[in-house]
Amino acid sequence: MTATESAKPTTAQTNGQTNGQSNGTHQIGRSVTRIDALEKVTGRAQYAADLFLPGMCYGVFKRSPHAHARIVSIDTSEAEKMPGVVAVITAMTLSKDMASVVEEEMHATRKVVSLFPNIGEKVKYEGAKVAAVAAVSREIAFEASERIKVEYEVLPPVTDVREAIKEGASQINEDSQPADALPDGPFAGHPIYNVAGQNHRAEGDVEAGFKAADRIFEDTYVIPRAHQTYIEPQTTVADCAPDGKVNVWTSTQGHFATRSNLANSLRIPASRINVHGMTIGGGFGAKFGGIVDTYCVLLAMKAHRPVKIVYTRAEEFLDARPAPGAVITVKTGVKNDGTIVARQAWALWDTGSGSGGCYATSRVKGVYKIEHFKLDAYDVNTNKPAPGAYRAPGAPQATFAGEAQINRIAHELRIDPVELRLRNMREGEQIAFKETLSAVAERAGWAQRTKGAHEGWGVAVGEWTNGAGPAGALVSVHEDGKARVFYGLMDITGTDTAMAQIAAEVLGIKYEDVTVSRGDTDSAPFGTASGGSVVTFSYGNAVKRAAEDARDRILELAAEHLEASVEDLEVSDGKVTVKGNPEASVTLAQLGQMSLRSRNGPIVGRGSFSSEPSATTIAAQIARVKLDPETGQLRLLGAYGSLDVGKSINPMACEGQMEGGLVQGFSWGMMEQMQWREDGRNWNPGLLDYRVPTSLDFPDLETVMVEQPTKNGPFGVKGIGEPPIAPGIAVISSAIADATGVWINEAPFTPERVLAAIKSKAS
Amino acid sequence: MRTLIELTVNGQPYPIDVEGRTRLLDALREKCFLTGAKEGCSTGDCGACTVLLDGQPVTSCLVLASSAAGKEITTIEGVSAGEVLHPVQQAFMSAGGLQCGICTPGMILTSIALLNENRNPTRDQIRFGLQGNLCRCTGYGKIVDAVEVAAKDMATRENGHHMEVKTEPDTNPAMAGPAQADATGGQAPGEKGR
Ligand code: FES
Ligand code: FES
Repeated sequence: MTATESAKPTTAQTNGQTNGQSNGTHQIGRSVTRIDALEKVTGRAQYAADLFLPGMCYGVFKRSPHAHARIVSIDTSEAEKMPGVVAVITAMTLSKDMASVVEEEMHATRKVVSLFPNIGEKVKYEGAKVAAVAAVSREIAFEASERIKVEYEVLPPVTDVREAIKEGASQINEDSQPADALPDGPFAGHPIYNVAGQNHRAEGDVEAGFKAADRIFEDTYVIPRAHQTYIEPQTTVADCAPDGKVNVWTSTQGHFATRSNLANSLRIPASRINVHGMTIGGGFGAKFGGIVDTYCVLLAMKAHRPVKIVYTRAEEFLDARPAPGAVITVKTGVKNDGTIVARQAWALWDTGSGSGGCYATSRVKGVYKIEHFKLDAYDVNTNKPAPGAYRAPGAPQATFAGEAQINRIAHELRIDPVELRLRNMREGEQIAFKETLSAVAERAGWAQRTKGAHEGWGVAVGEWTNGAGPAGALVSVHEDGKARVFYGLMDITGTDTAMAQIAAEVLGIKYEDVTVSRGDTDSAPFGTASGGSVVTFSYGNAVKRAAEDARDRILELAAEHLEASVEDLEVSDGKVTVKGNPEASVTLAQLGQMSLRSRNGPIVGRGSFSSEPSATTIAAQIARVKLDPETGQLRLLGAYGSLDVGKSINPMACEGQMEGGLVQGFSWGMMEQMQWREDGRNWNPGLLDYRVPTSLDFPDLETVMVEQPTKNGPFGVKGIGEPPIAPGIAVISSAIADATGVWINEAPFTPERVLAAIKSKAS
Repeated sequence: MRTLIELTVNGQPYPIDVEGRTRLLDALREKCFLTGAKEGCSTGDCGACTVLLDGQPVTSCLVLASSAAGKEITTIEGVSAGEVLHPVQQAFMSAGGLQCGICTPGMILTSIALLNENRNPTRDQIRFGLQGNLCRCTGYGKIVDAVEVAAKDMATRENGHHMEVKTEPDTNPAMAGPAQADATGGQAPGEKGR
């Protein structure tokens, strides 16, 4: 295992390698320039909104102004009469079997929700879709949507999960049955209402564990909903040909996932749908389809013309799939020497009108050996949009609860929080928890840390195991000796680049001599969606196998040509050479040409991967903060992150993931929160009021990569996109506690909350 | 009420018809088919729609198209000269200053304006100058790196060590074809912003 420190702030050093003379055998571990960088810096990359088709119309939605209401009537006649309007759809215009939308996500079960509420049915959050209109211009479509008249019977809303579980609270999903009362915990003794999902788990015997403990800690943590805030809003263009073929150009993390969602929602065979995955302007878990694409296709079907829908930023906040909020109570029993003996958690996840949150509660246990563990967790309906995945879904929330309390325990027991973690961490094959934590502690100078007035240090770790999914790839070698990778991967984080590096490594050519192309769903082999940190692990295996298959063909051709046996050959620097005889060689270009006339034809390697388990990884992070005692304003003086990446294919891209994820995690603790008023209206549906970090909010980040390879990953790769977001909230809360002596258990730690904490300490 | 106006974008004239309320962003994207400027919010908060107006960065979602007539407009499509990239573009590529790329055109244009004002900015000055451009992917560090690298590169060139920056050595032409005349508008890129 090795640890590599990023050379900050002189990233240029790594880039030196980019322009250098690479030798054919070290394509892995090079910080090469992203394969798509040129089209992105020149403005040529095509995002879904950049597409203009002949005859294209624009779709907009009619939305509910109420958070909770029953639809009494919908009148679309005025809208339909407007010149320029080409299609209006509501629940009434859709056939029964097209009345629902299916959303598939990496971490939630498949969700089926009704496309629009019908007369007598309910809207369950402000901004819920009631109808959609397509017209020849956006202005006409908007005007028409305004002319749709909807009559509502307004119902009382509920926005706080702690209220929603009580008897007598507004019942949001009418078919939901109350859950049985729990024997213990913060909401014991009463049935639990508005339940949309449950998760219960027990290991060992927590009661016995707590009895054996010297000290018991119990705290309740509150985490708000956060929006992924990709800068490119949800966007789709759809067109339906007269023969029934549906073409969809969309901003998606997985065009095959989008295709299957559409096929299931529209009840048409997948073979009749071709999804073109456009360059994606950020997704972070929220772009798996279902939010606009289904509606866009239905409008296009009805209009017999292409239709484009681009969400506005306000629509993003009102009606997309943000991360669920949560209220999590954690009880932990420890020995005086810091050994954790038992842990129990009770959680209410704010899943709005949908479900999908409580499954993540097990992350409260963290990376520790804990003999006795128990959890009872619920998805609770409120009058808010259904939740979706956001980078390591559920982990930042549950990790905040688990890790903030670990820090409080360390503080109370007067044990260093890094030391307390090292004492309790799990160990095992392919796991490098301790090394990863130690690496960041060393980088930050944790052991020698000092602090000035109103300054504090915080530390936390977050665990994650990447998913894996089916992926296919083709690698062909052309007559010029260069290789092409073809597959159905949606690149967000730079994975096309990593795949080119993997193919180059196997074929003994330079990364620069590999091109990558993504097929639409009609042409590409199946590929799993880019979410769950699956890509480099899964497609990496597929591409590696495809490249190896191509290499076998190359060796076979070369053996014939050089009259040598395959075992005596080696491939590097773009040629095949007989070992020990550099004179006897043939270039890949020559072999590419020969292959065309050969018995078996052109060189095409195939590789497929289904699913194999990965090993778990952690991100460990440290922050140094300074508080303004007058305003409560928090300033980051230092931010440090380490991550066990398994094996780094492209160190610059790994750093990019570590930095981007760390910033998202920290900022959830510092500033991000979606807010709803008591009447159920969204309070901050815009970027002015929902704050995400600007370039001024963070200092230069320092990152350290640890490499503890996993057996099943290509070259030892672990999935790394998600874990860096996990520890952030806990890191910040602990740094504030270190500075103020007060543990703030409700995120984000806004100036108001920090100021209140400082004042409470003073009084 | 529709009126005919002429926009000068990247040195080329674009006669287009607009309504009084047509935003510069829509005129560029939907009339000139220059889609490099992106729409992230429409309220002036994200900076994805940034273009240069007489060399100054503006959020084109808040500018009326008619008010931009008679001014020099530079979009990302006009930043490189043929296959020769602007040093800022080059630096965003080599320093890893982009991931999803949706903020990149705005970031690059703002950075160019920043470097035109201050050839040798500190990291804090770069952060200050970029505060109106949101990036959700990178955490900003590598973007600041990129602007620093570009500043050094520009200084080297001005000191007489002029080097042609070719796109060829570290890119994959087939995936990301060389920057060339803008295909949608059919116009050759101008020299603006260099
Ligand atoms: S779209 Fe103009 S600032 Fe966001
Ligand atoms: S690179 Fe994605 S928003 Fe900046």
